[in-house]
Amino acid sequence: MFPNNYFFSYVLQNHSIVSVSLCLCIYGLINIIKFLREEDEKNENIPKMLCQMDNHLACVNCVRWSNNGLYLASGGDDKLVMVWKRAAGISVCVCFLFADVMDVAWSPHDVWLASCSVDNTIVIWNARKFPEMVTCLRGHTGLVKGLTWDPVGKYIASQADDHSLKVWRTVDWQMDANITKPFSECGGTTHVLRLSWSPDGQYLVSAHAMNNSGPTAQIVERDGWKTNMDFVGHRKAVTVVKFNPKIFKKKQKNGSSPKPGCPYCCCAVGSKDRSLSVWLTSLKRPLVVIHDLFDKSIMDISWTLTGLGMLVCSMDGTVAYLDFSLDELGDPLSEEEKNSIHQNIYGKSLAITSTEAQLSTTIIENPEMLKYQQERQNSAQTNIGPGCAGPESSAPKLNSVMNGESLEDIRKNLLKKQVETRTADGRRRITPLCIAQLDTGDFSPALFNSAPILPSGSSMSNQLTSQLSSDSSPGQASSLGLRPSHDPMLTSPPASSIPCLLLTSASKIEPMKALDSRFTERSKATPGVTAAISSTAGLTPLDSRPKDGISALKDIKSKEDTSSDSEDKMATINKNLSFSKRKPELLMDGGEVVEKRKKGRPRKEKMAAPIAQPFTQITPPAEREPSRVAAPPAPVAALKLPTPSIKKAFSLQVSMEPSVFLEVENEVSVVAGSKLSQLRCSRDGRDWNTLLPSSVVTAAGSSDVLAVACQDRMLSVFSSCGRRLLPAIQLATPVSAVHCSSHFVMVLTAGATLSVWDVQKQKALVKNESLLTILSGADSTVSQSLLTQQGVPVIGLSNGKSYCFSSSLETWTLIADKGDSLVQCADFRSCLSTHDAPASSGPLAVMQGRNLNAGRLASRLSSTPHHLQQSMTLAFLENQLASALTLQSAQEYRYWLLIYARFLVNEGSEYRLRELCKELLGPVHKSASTAWEPTTLGLRKRELLREVLPVIVENLRFQRLFTEYQDQLELLRNK
Amino acid sequence: MAKVQVLNVAVLDNPSPFGNPFQFEITFECMEDLPEDLEWKIIYVGSAESEEYDQVLDSVLVGPVPAGRHMFVFQADAPNTGLIPESDAVGVTVVLITCTYRGQEFIRIGYYVNNEYTDPELRENPPLKPDYTQLQRNILASNPRVTRFHINWEGSADKMEDSENVDPSPNISSMLPPSCIPGKMPPLGLMPDNSMDCM
Repeated sequence: MFPNNYFFSYVLQNHSIVSVSLCLCIYGLINIIKFLREEDEKNENIPKMLCQMDNHLACVNCVRWSNNGLYLASGGDDKLVMVWKRAAGISVCVCFLFADVMDVAWSPHDVWLASCSVDNTIVIWNARKFPEMVTCLRGHTGLVKGLTWDPVGKYIASQADDHSLKVWRTVDWQMDANITKPFSECGGTTHVLRLSWSPDGQYLVSAHAMNNSGPTAQIVERDGWKTNMDFVGHRKAVTVVKFNPKIFKKKQKNGSSPKPGCPYCCCAVGSKDRSLSVWLTSLKRPLVVIHDLFDKSIMDISWTLTGLGMLVCSMDGTVAYLDFSLDELGDPLSEEEKNSIHQNIYGKSLAITSTEAQLSTTIIENPEMLKYQQERQNSAQTNIGPGCAGPESSAPKLNSVMNGESLEDIRKNLLKKQVETRTADGRRRITPLCIAQLDTGDFSPALFNSAPILPSGSSMSNQLTSQLSSDSSPGQASSLGLRPSHDPMLTSPPASSIPCLLLTSASKIEPMKALDSRFTERSKATPGVTAAISSTAGLTPLDSRPKDGISALKDIKSKEDTSSDSEDKMATINKNLSFSKRKPELLMDGGEVVEKRKKGRPRKEKMAAPIAQPFTQITPPAEREPSRVAAPPAPVAALKLPTPSIKKAFSLQVSMEPSVFLEVENEVSVVAGSKLSQLRCSRDGRDWNTLLPSSVVTAAGSSDVLAVACQDRMLSVFSSCGRRLLPAIQLATPVSAVHCSSHFVMVLTAGATLSVWDVQKQKALVKNESLLTILSGADSTVSQSLLTQQGVPVIGLSNGKSYCFSSSLETWTLIADKGDSLVQCADFRSCLSTHDAPASSGPLAVMQGRNLNAGRLASRLSSTPHHLQQSMTLAFLENQLASALTLQSAQEYRYWLLIYARFLVNEGSEYRLRELCKELLGPVHKSASTAWEPTTLGLRKRELLREVLPVIVENLRFQRLFTEYQDQLELLRNK
Repeated sequence: MAKVQVLNVAVLDNPSPFGNPFQFEITFECMEDLPEDLEWKIIYVGSAESEEYDQVLDSVLVGPVPAGRHMFVFQADAPNTGLIPESDAVGVTVVLITCTYRGQEFIRIGYYVNNEYTDPELRENPPLKPDYTQLQRNILASNPRVTRFHINWEGSADKMEDSENVDPSPNISSMLPPSCIPGKMPPLGLMPDNSMDCM
């Protein structure tokens, strides 16, 4: 019946079984049972297999129906969690994980879906908005093999190979209990560890535990997580525990006194010893034990919603259905009675409240907080607009394009109507008839796209099936002799008094093996590139109905990628626009310097100074002396930076606002044997010019200052009106690059030293600092240099690293590294807010270039484990923040600070967030000893905190933190 | 995951005389506009023993394919009887429908086909040399076998992304200007290092 050994089944309320192998198949349970009971094998009109979904690419480990029966979640070794919708067609939504999925579980009221995987993590998904990840629970140190939700929604419990059972709170997703004692002796040999919570919420029963070296199912009490009791008797490890969803009470016997018995629960325990036991919490001994039910270990158990039927599946590929009577189990309580029990024990629980507040169970304690929340919701609603409220409305968006013509009509004439042409090389080319357009205009709801699997229910599929069933009348099939002579229901003798129907059906499909292989092998005529063979599906011996319908799985991810790529492109365009407005001095760098420079001539400045430049001689010796000392003698030869060649004349625009043009003409006239060079500058139409005694090598300027470097290693600095601001500065080696920015001048010499002067204060900020530190080791060269508005020099190297010299730390600091793996993998897209985006154009962005873009792309493509990526993103953001601080780029600092805060809020790192807030707030009371600066980079820290606080509100978990700092800010404001 | 999903294949004109053309009505759904055509093929397996006797009955390009649900009828002539081994003419064989994109096969739908004489007399005493005019072809439409293959849907674009995933080795990056990491956008002329298209 099932080709794969791994096969599990589950029951849903409308009496279907889902079986799993490489594909999912839904069988009509009722019909199978009927089929068995009436032995009406010949009747092929009763559909048995309802649906087959074969989009999983590897073994499926677990399937679970949502509590409302509308959705089916499946997880498997292909590292995917798929959510299927039961509708006219079946829709699919895919959540991507990074490791094989072992178990999935729906929370009460289907608020969340949890999945656990072999990467030791549990991921909680927002079941209202797939594939949004709520959180990722970390703490297990072994493969997580089972999950169960507390029926009132307060906890989720997980059991893993690390010999522990952990209970997590759903309020803040932190670990509430870690139970290890009963599991310390356990070996990690079970395929699954499916634990279960009792429907009254009082007990949690674990899978595989050990007591006195005997396998048990440990009972954990909710009250204090005590582990005093267990279910014993199985000979091998317990793999599955499943509580009956109903709470029972003793069956009232006719005539007996109507004394209400204490309600009790019913629990089924399956084990590797191939046996199954059913327990009532009111009895000390099991209600029933069935030995040797299967050939292999039990894999999963599922109860029907009525509580009277149970399906058990085994690794041997078979399913058993057990039917209980009310006499055996007792009277099931109604949902109202169950709710009242919950209410008695837990008060108004999640299981009872069925309103909007389910997602955020936390009570908002602060009116300020409420305000923010409401604002956020309002803006979210206006942004999203109607039609995106939930999965319901975001379901299939297929716009019919048939103008009143029914599909049947189209089909009749399709062959005649379809456009067929011949290509240039004579091949047939058919233009397919578009029968429905995918509405791809709306991006976010596309996550729940439709793809009918089996044409059943919808009008279109009815037509299809009618057509198809005419193709395959039963008589035909049998005459062909192709129908596998299967013997589907070998009822083995029940091992107990309980009516037990065992469906062991090894399908004996006889057809020609030679032909079978042809179905799966790629023919030579159509070679493929990649090798992964997905699945063979479709041979459905139990089925009488055609199975041509093949499910379609939306390629959401690719869609997501393309659309966000286009977002990126848009951003790029915006950036380019904003770029053109930027001050150009950031652009003029030494990166374009021609390599084949002749050496600057070591001409001693002995010649008489021309009259036009009387100050040249007054170069202070004090300036020169220390520079010679400071410059290391050895590397001068080794560290040879390229210098610009001398041109006869050149001009450049040094500033746009006001527009300043600089024109240089070398050797314009010869006066007293020395050649003079002319420097002409036009600023807003007004010209000035000056003469220099030596050829000008390079020049730079800002709106405030102009700097000109000459061949004689002299640097002259002028004001924007042409006034000489500093006496000519003698440089030790020829100039490689000059930059000006506001009132700062930066010079990079061929001897690889860097100097920065503050012209306004007539002071050196950086004094002949050698680049040896950053250039040593690698054979890299300076590819880019710039000076920020704050006078911070930045050097970009050809190895992708960028450094700035911090004058306060008096050291080189790394601000960007294009080869940094952190940059490659950091993913903070979710933390970007739209109105922040333009702020990030500063020196940091210039140095990091488009690499950030590539990094984000890479992060989406590579399959980095989520927690690793989180850590990398965190480290990256902290790097950015520190770099922006060193560069004194206030705008970028603010930008990255907000992203950082948002990231901390999203990831729930309270310690870091608290530290950040504390730093921004500073001491509330003035004290002399404090070293706290109220501003950073000219930004008031408390103003920054005021910007960070609304970010914090986005996670209700931090409302205490928010309140704390909000109050203190208010307090300070009132002072 | 695949960009094209085959939703339904209806076998038209079935059963039919052996010489009739094959007709399959194929409904498929496409997630996004495909820049290139899909190529569909019908392959008739002449003999179970060897691929040698496979006949590609026809191949057809289907396009342009915008995002959406589409259908078309793929009609192909009956197999050339001269290429079918006589011993395999009557009985069960297989017909395959394959679809390739950018030369890569991503789906294969197979059907069992039964060829038999309609005349009971012929059925009991089949002639030594098969009489194709009397043969009836019956495709077991209710039992398709679907196999999917993973393929690279992006073509050359994918390769580009791949190279971005590779950490730039220090050797390469030190030899090239920083903006010229292989596989990325071409350098932007005069100002390669300053291009501010990040973020």
